[in-house]
Amino acid sequence: MSLALSHCISRILPQWVVQRSLLMDGRHAAKSGLYIQAMTLRTTAALRAEPKKKKKVDPRRELMVKERMRKKLKKLEKVPPEFIPIEDFMTPAKCLDEERTRFVPAISFEESERRALLLKEWSRYKQEQHMAEMKALECALEAQREALEELRLSSEELYDEALKPDLSLLPFSREGPVYTPAKDKYEAPEGKYNDTTRVYTQ
Amino acid sequence: MSLKPGPASQSAGLARYSLAAAVYVQRLPVVSADWSPTEQRFRDMMAQMELEKSLLSDHELRLIEDAERLKRKQADDYDSDEEDVQMDQDIVLAQDLEDSWEHKFRNMQFTPRVRDDVDQDLSSVQRCLMDFLVLVSEHAVGDQKLWLLPQREWQEGETLRQTAERALASLPVGLEATFLGNAPCGVYKYKLPKPLRTDSSIGTKVFFFKAVLSEPSASSHSALLWLKKSELQSYLKPSYMMKAPKNLCAPAPVFALRLHSRATVASVACLRLQRQSGAKQQQQLLACGGGVCRSYL
Repeated sequence: MSLALSHCISRILPQWVVQRSLLMDGRHAAKSGLYIQAMTLRTTAALRAEPKKKKKVDPRRELMVKERMRKKLKKLEKVPPEFIPIEDFMTPAKCLDEERTRFVPAISFEESERRALLLKEWSRYKQEQHMAEMKALECALEAQREALEELRLSSEELYDEALKPDLSLLPFSREGPVYTPAKDKYEAPEGKYNDTTRVYTQ
Repeated sequence: MSLKPGPASQSAGLARYSLAAAVYVQRLPVVSADWSPTEQRFRDMMAQMELEKSLLSDHELRLIEDAERLKRKQADDYDSDEEDVQMDQDIVLAQDLEDSWEHKFRNMQFTPRVRDDVDQDLSSVQRCLMDFLVLVSEHAVGDQKLWLLPQREWQEGETLRQTAERALASLPVGLEATFLGNAPCGVYKYKLPKPLRTDSSIGTKVFFFKAVLSEPSASSHSALLWLKKSELQSYLKPSYMMKAPKNLCAPAPVFALRLHSRATVASVACLRLQRQSGAKQQQQLLACGGGVCRSYL
């Protein structure tokens, strides 16, 4: 009965299964070639039918990924340049010294009143000065407008000439008034100085 | 292309005026003007306030230290070994430094800001260093000799600015001035008396061009006067001054705008307003002008 069964199995199952089962069971194989193979059936894991495709984009994709990683690393490594310190904004330690506070006697009521009134008078004075200046400007502009109108009535060509901008005028520079007028043949003394400005490089 | 009076005026049948250009040369202030009383008071108050809010400087600390050390030295129980810092005997006190600085300042010779003798000489360019000066020259107009801004008749083929430059160059004293632009800043129109009128011109239009004196020349001439704006009234004819002062309304730099020039501006503004026909404008501006004038009374 067993012989018949093994014959059937050997015909049904592929040859290599049979061979394998024989190889696996060495001692059983030694006994007979047609041992019951059913007990020694071994199968591999379930495999899908699609074979592995070689994608052409793959190496490029890998390169891209590597580059991105490199760039991120570079960005992290980049240190922003240090700002140049603005020395005007940093209070020097000398000014915070307590010994330097000036003794100021309290201001009397009359004095504070006088100061407040003087401030108001000053703002009024400055406003009048400003209005006068604006008026002066308006006067000048009006005068020029009238002059150009009259010129236009007289002669178109002269009017066109007058309208042309004067390029030789700018840049116009002039030194302002001084407190005392310049001395004739004054020799200014030569002074030496040590330049202690701090120069920062970024 | 020759520059002639255009066809527009001919075809419209308007009266033809002959053209002239005058130059308004200014000598800008050399020295800063004095402070007005309000400004002086405000300056003092500001200096006082800033002093109160300030800290003691190094120099002042040194003064205080020296004073204390002197006091300690003069006390009966003075022991030089108690001094914190061992110093040399010949030390320079801060007070000595101050004295030497004061001495140096007093020995320094400054040129005086105001020189009365030069101020009286009307033809000198160096007079009144704090003010704006305007050049005025004598012209023979008809029978009269008038004081006017230097002017010349316009000739064909040149621009008005060139005429003004010619007027400046033809003065007896060589003056160098920078002209401020090609456009005139004012105009003065006058009609000739009837017998003198011709077909070509019934009057003259004088265009004023502004210039700034570059270098004051040393020489002076009796026919040329440098006048302050307040003095112009006594030399120029009133009607001429009414028009020419439109130039005086010109903006003066802030640092030199002082009471006298502002009074002129205010008075001229009032004069201008009275001539204008617009009642509304008159009201508005008179109010402003009045407000400005009030402050000087």
